[in-house]
Amino acid sequence: MASTTTTAPRPVAGGEPLLVVSRSWRSRVAARLGAVVLVAPGVLWLTAFFLVPLAIIFVVSLGTKDAAGHIVLDHLGLQNYAQATRPEYLPAFANSLRYALITTILSIAIGYPIAYWISRYGGRHKILLLILVMLPFWTSYLIRTYAWMIILRDNGVLNGILQGTGLTSEPLILLNTDVSVILGMTYGFLPFAILPLFVSIDRLDEHLVQAARDLYASGRGAFLHVTLPLTMPGVIAAALLTFIPAIGDYVTPDLLGGAQTTTAAKIVQVLFTSGRDWPYGSALGFILMIVTLGGTLLALRFLRRELFA
Amino acid sequence: MNERHDGSGIDLDRALIQALVDRRLSRRQLLEAIATVGPVAALAPILAACAGAATASPSPSTAVPSTAPSVGAAASPSASPEPTPVPTPEGELNVYNWDAYIGEKTQAEFEAKYKVKVHYTKFPDAETALAKIRSDGKGAGFDVFYPTSVDVPALVADKVIQPLNLGLIPNATNLGAQWQNPGYDPGNVNSMPYMWWTTGICWDGDKIKDDLTSWESLWNPAYKGKILMLDDIREAFAVAAFRLKLDPNTKSEADLDKMVALLEEQKPLLRDYDTDDIGFMTSKSVVIAHAWSGDVYQMYDDVPNVKYVIPEEGAVRGSDTMVVPSGAPHPIAANLWIDFNLDAKVSAANTNFIGYMGPNAAAMEFIKKEILEDPTVNPDIALLDKLVELLDLGADLDKYTQRWNALKA
Repeated sequence: MASTTTTAPRPVAGGEPLLVVSRSWRSRVAARLGAVVLVAPGVLWLTAFFLVPLAIIFVVSLGTKDAAGHIVLDHLGLQNYAQATRPEYLPAFANSLRYALITTILSIAIGYPIAYWISRYGGRHKILLLILVMLPFWTSYLIRTYAWMIILRDNGVLNGILQGTGLTSEPLILLNTDVSVILGMTYGFLPFAILPLFVSIDRLDEHLVQAARDLYASGRGAFLHVTLPLTMPGVIAAALLTFIPAIGDYVTPDLLGGAQTTTAAKIVQVLFTSGRDWPYGSALGFILMIVTLGGTLLALRFLRRELFA
Repeated sequence: MNERHDGSGIDLDRALIQALVDRRLSRRQLLEAIATVGPVAALAPILAACAGAATASPSPSTAVPSTAPSVGAAASPSASPEPTPVPTPEGELNVYNWDAYIGEKTQAEFEAKYKVKVHYTKFPDAETALAKIRSDGKGAGFDVFYPTSVDVPALVADKVIQPLNLGLIPNATNLGAQWQNPGYDPGNVNSMPYMWWTTGICWDGDKIKDDLTSWESLWNPAYKGKILMLDDIREAFAVAAFRLKLDPNTKSEADLDKMVALLEEQKPLLRDYDTDDIGFMTSKSVVIAHAWSGDVYQMYDDVPNVKYVIPEEGAVRGSDTMVVPSGAPHPIAANLWIDFNLDAKVSAANTNFIGYMGPNAAAMEFIKKEILEDPTVNPDIALLDKLVELLDLGADLDKYTQRWNALKA
């Protein structure tokens, strides 16, 4: 809509200077308006459903609560944050961090070859293969997690096979352990790793790899010195898309975990439900978010320096 | 917001999961809440709290007459308890109750008797339900809700529920003597008892041959990795209190330190803290569990030799109630529903189907013999004075929560 005014020939001198001013002013406004229209839905959405709730959580985290658990915002202060740094909760935060890190590493280690294979050898089935990667999303994550419980539990599918074939005599304890939590999380987050990895591998110009081979690089050398560095943005994206949701994950550690696998998200959940202390829960949630954000920014800065120095 | 749609969402999810695992999944649900009602129910109170500061919203109690002006005369809570002529109920009724917690024909019989269309919504755990009921401060459009007795005083104080119309509930006289004047709601002015249970120990008789009698069994290293504790702050601390001969409703920091030390000792032996006692027992993931008596009745199909005991040190008795939210759009039908469920035969039919004992003395003669004679759900009268009801602790709950989170972390 702005194109007609911007491409209109501008009178040079002597004509109607007022009109010129007004025209270019109008075209600039139109261009601005166009940009505003484009960005408005996103800004509105993020404001209404991200920034405002975040601000509410922050305000609540500064508040207190009365005996019945109602939020009281009379005396805002940092008391919840002071209380949240109790050393007793550190093991739960450590668990969250450990599960998220292992899940991220496993997702990339498993996802990279899959993405590479789809990109290089998928041929005309690429789209179909990508749909297959996303197929699990068609079923509720909760149901898929329950399915893991049925597979892993003591009288479950896996133990049935192991005992049926005589490989074990007693059921292995798989469910409610570190192993089941990491397995469930890796399973859940793998597609989030594969998709960005695929995009960056698929965009890689294959001629560069061929050039490396022409210059006597071994297959491994070409991968390490050409493919991997050039697909690093995909690896970073995959790591972020896996790590950030993984560190706050509540569903998987709660369903597949046990008495020894409590995560930070579970602590927050107790405070919001039976603990009836939303301000304290909000403060813990905020700390978890800031730690995640800070860690992510540090990692990004470090990686950028490594890659582009 | 249409809560009936939310409710059917839960039902669908539950139905799918149930089909998947082919058994009742008990209270596994916060998760489902996240998947379904969570975002709305979870945010609503915060928004309400923030909005409440800015706009003076009409108090829930004043909203009642305006939504149901026709009940003005009948709704006086101080009306004489003699049966008054039954006013015509509204055409609809919105009920909000636990999943699998009512007789299979109760709803249809009520609908036929009073010509009322009942919209029945199920909730999977108490926290989700309370969050929803409190989301607008007056019951989110429901007419009848089933809170646990310990939550009733707070609902009354916050005017989330309204006094019952006792004139419409003549069947209240069916209640057993010990239920006529409960501590959480003297005179049953705001709530009517629905079902009650105990919390004890259950175990798989095929795996553990001994007759267990003490809470100590949940600390037995022989069952390491095969023990379940309920993921419930108050219930878990109560177990430690009984072992230490302390008060399960204690507010003493010193007592609580002793209790949590005992629970710390137990933690390495546990498979999990979880409220899904049925799931853990029926999947044989544990051989012994801290469990609710009514749930044990639901394990028989999969664990035929399941045993249950109220340990000699004492145990928790809990009860669920029926209440009418202050914003109930159909209060006459709501009070009639409560009265209907206190009818001797209806109450017995509910018990016969779900396996929980009701507080209804008149219903006893209609309850199945196998339930009446099952000490799990209907404990010996001599045991009843060993049972303790958990009380609302107000701000002192923090002392429990803090230690509980530190224990689990």
